[in-house]
Amino acid sequence: MMRRIVSSFFSLVALVVMVFFLSRLTGDPAALFLPIDATQEMLDQFRELHGLNDPLIQQFGRYVLDVLQLDFGDSIRKARPAIDVVLESFTWTLQLALITIALVTALAITIGSVAAFRPGGLFDRFVSLVSLIGASAPDFWIAIVGIVVFSITLGWVPTSGTGTVWHWILPVAVLFIRPFGLILQVVRGSMMTAFGSAYVKTARAKGVGNRSIIFVHTLRNAMLPVITVIGDQAAAMLNGAVVVETIFGFPGVGKLMIDSILQRDFNVILAAIMVTALAIFVMNLLIDIAYTLLDPRLRT
Amino acid sequence: MKGKRLLLGLMMTASAAASAWAQEAKDITVVLDEEVDLVEPCMATRSNIGRIILQNVSETLTELDVRNNKGLMPRLAESWEEASPGTWRFHLRKDAKFSDGSSFDAGDVKHSIERAMSDKISCESPRYFGDTKLETKVVDDNTVDITATPAQPILPLLMTLVTIVPAETPIEFTREPVGTGPYKLTEWKAGQSITLTRRDDYWGSAPEVTKATYVFRADPSVRAAMVAAGEADIAPLISELDANDAEMDFSYPNSETFYMRLDHSIPPLNDKRVRQALNMALDRDAFIGTLLPKGAIKATAIVPPTTLGWNPDVKVAPYDPEGAKKLLAEAKADGVPVETPIAIVGRTNNFPNVVEVLEAAQQMFEEVGFKTKLQMYEVAEFEKQYSKPYPENRGPLLVAAQHDNARGDPVFSMYFKYDSNGRQSGIANPDVDKMIAEATAATGEKRAADWKKLIAYLHDDVVADVLLFHMVGYARVNPRIDFTPTIATNSQLQLSEIRIK
Repeated sequence: MMRRIVSSFFSLVALVVMVFFLSRLTGDPAALFLPIDATQEMLDQFRELHGLNDPLIQQFGRYVLDVLQLDFGDSIRKARPAIDVVLESFTWTLQLALITIALVTALAITIGSVAAFRPGGLFDRFVSLVSLIGASAPDFWIAIVGIVVFSITLGWVPTSGTGTVWHWILPVAVLFIRPFGLILQVVRGSMMTAFGSAYVKTARAKGVGNRSIIFVHTLRNAMLPVITVIGDQAAAMLNGAVVVETIFGFPGVGKLMIDSILQRDFNVILAAIMVTALAIFVMNLLIDIAYTLLDPRLRT
Repeated sequence: MKGKRLLLGLMMTASAAASAWAQEAKDITVVLDEEVDLVEPCMATRSNIGRIILQNVSETLTELDVRNNKGLMPRLAESWEEASPGTWRFHLRKDAKFSDGSSFDAGDVKHSIERAMSDKISCESPRYFGDTKLETKVVDDNTVDITATPAQPILPLLMTLVTIVPAETPIEFTREPVGTGPYKLTEWKAGQSITLTRRDDYWGSAPEVTKATYVFRADPSVRAAMVAAGEADIAPLISELDANDAEMDFSYPNSETFYMRLDHSIPPLNDKRVRQALNMALDRDAFIGTLLPKGAIKATAIVPPTTLGWNPDVKVAPYDPEGAKKLLAEAKADGVPVETPIAIVGRTNNFPNVVEVLEAAQQMFEEVGFKTKLQMYEVAEFEKQYSKPYPENRGPLLVAAQHDNARGDPVFSMYFKYDSNGRQSGIANPDVDKMIAEATAATGEKRAADWKKLIAYLHDDVVADVLLFHMVGYARVNPRIDFTPTIATNSQLQLSEIRIK
C-alpha cells in the first residue's frame, strides 16, 4: 500500500509538470479572452496583468510555489480562485458519479447473478441483449431521445437543470446505461465461472439453497474482477461526464475542464486535474482496501 | 390491476411535479447558450453578459434604438450637446438611484469611465474607443463634460457602451453588479443560474416581468426543448434545424456579416480582375434557403442594413461564371499567376453549416478556374490568420469570417477592417484611409454621406473582399409572452420590453 501511495505521489508531480507545459503550448489566453479586434496595447496589458509576459520557467516556478501553499491562482474567465471554481463543479460530478455507481453496482450485481444462474434461459438472453444495447448506445443519442420522450412528450421530468430530485432522473439514467451493461456482463461471466467451480458443486451436494449459493458462497469470490470494472467506470465518471453534463446543464468538472481548455484558463485546468487525479487516487485506494477485504490472501 | 393503479398514480404525481418547474405568472426564464463567467458591467458588450446586464441591471447614458429606428435616445442622460470642439456635455437624470440605495450623480459617470478605461482591469468597452483618450470633468452633480482626444463626433453613441456603476465600485471585476436599472441581481448560483428581480425604486416605469432567471444549456436542441416544454420562455439562440415550430420560432438579423477577407498584397489577389472573378464565381442565391437560412441577405457592405450610411445603390456582383473565366484569362495573359493555389481559411463552429458553405464556395471558385484548398481552424489558430501581424511567407488567403456590428455606425468596423493600419485589414489604400478618417470625424448628414461613399468605393472600385451574407439567427419564444426578437437581441435583452399575455 505504501509503495502505491509513493508511486501515486510521483505520478501526481509528473502530471503537474506535464499539464503546466502542455497547457502553455496551446497558446495565449489573451487572444481568446479579449475580443478578436483587441489592440496590441490591450493584449500586452492583459498579459502583464496575468503574469503571462514572464519567461515560462519563471511562471512555472511561481506556480509550483503557489501550489505547495494550495494556491492555484485565479480563473481568468471567472475572476475567482480557480480551486473554488473546481471544487464547486467537482461536488456536482461527485454526487452524479456516486448516485449512478451505487445504482449500477446494486442492480448489475443482482440481475447479473440471477441471469448467470440459468445461462441460456429466457431471462439470461433478455438481460444479455439489454446489456449489450446499453453498453453500445451513444450517450448523446440516449439523452436527446430521453428528453423528447420523457420531457416534451410525456412531461414527466424536466429537460435539464438541477433544481429538484426530478432533475436528476434523466442524467443519472443516461449515465447509468453504459456502465450497467458493461458491469452486468462481467458479473454474469464471473458468476457463471464460479457456479461451475468445485466448491459450488460441493455446496449443492450438501443441499445448500440457491439463494445461499449465490449470496454466501459465490458472490464474494466472483467480485474481484467486477470491482476492477466498477473502479474503472467510477474513475471515468469522476473525471466528469462531459456529454451528460453538457446536455443536461450539469455544472460538473468534465464540462468545466473542456471549457477551460478551450478558453485556455490555465489555472482552472491545473486545479481541475489536480482535484480529479487526487479523487481517482483515493478511489483506487478504496478499491485496494475492498480487494483485501474480499480476499484475505492479498493482505500482505 | 393494482400495478396499473400504481403506475397511474406515479404518472399523476410526476405530472403534478412537472407544474413545479413551470413558470410563475410574471416570472420568466431565459436559456442562454453558454455559462456566464462574469456579470461585470464593463463587460456588458459581450453578448451573453449584455443580455443579462445591459439596461436591466446597469444602464448607460444613452441608448440606441434599432427596433423602432428612433436612433440615439436618452437613458441616464436626459440631453447632451457639444460644449466645445471635442467636449460633450451630458445633463444627467436627477431621480435615478442605484440598487444599493445610493443616488446617481456625475461622480459615478466619471468613475465608471475611468474604471472601464483603466489598465488595471481588462474591460471590453475600451475596444470601441480605439486610441481615443477620454477625460471626464464633473461640472455639477447632474452635469458632466467628457472630452475625447482626438475629438469624437459620435461620443454620445459611444456612451451606449459604457455602463454606469457607483463611484464606490472597486477597480477589480465585481461579482455583485450594482446599477440604476429596473432590476437587481438577487441570486447567482455559479454554473447554474442567475436571477434578476424587479426593483420597486426604479426611476422609470415598472416593467411587467417581476423576476428573470437565466440558465445555461450548451446544446441547441435542449434550449429549444426547454421552451417547448414550458421550462423556459426565451431561447435567444437555437439552431435552424430546431426552429421547426412557426408559432414559437422567430428568425431575426443577428448583425453578423459573413465575408471573405482578401489579402491584396499577395498575387494573384493583388489583381482587381481576380478579386472581381472571385465575386462573380459565387452563386449567392444558391446558398439561401439551403445551406443558410431563408432570411439571410446578400451583403454589399461589412455592416448590416440597419447601419448609418448603408448604401442601397451598391449592387451585389452578379453570378457570372463565364465573365469570371474571361477576367481570369485576361489576368493570366498579363502574367498574373492565377493558377497559384489559394487557401480558404475558415473557423470551425463559426455558424451552423460553415464547412458545407465553404465547400460549396470552393466548388464554385474551382468551376471558373481557381485552384483552392480549404483549411478549417479552431478560434485561436484562426485568429493568427485573421489579425495582424499576419504570418510571414503566407500564400494567397481568403479568410472567411463573420463580423458583428449592431452599434448603428460603421466606425466600429471600417478602421479595423479597411484602414492600412487596421488590425484585420487586407488592404493598404491611402484613399480609403482618408475616407475613413473623414467619415469618422464627420457629423450629421455628412457622416451618413461619407460612409455611403466609402461603402460604394470599397465594393465597386477597390473590390476589397468577397462579401457574402448578412446572417440571421433563430430564437424560440414561449407563446405565453409577447416578445419579438430583433437585431438588438444579439447583444441585449431588455426585460422591460417583454409583456406577459
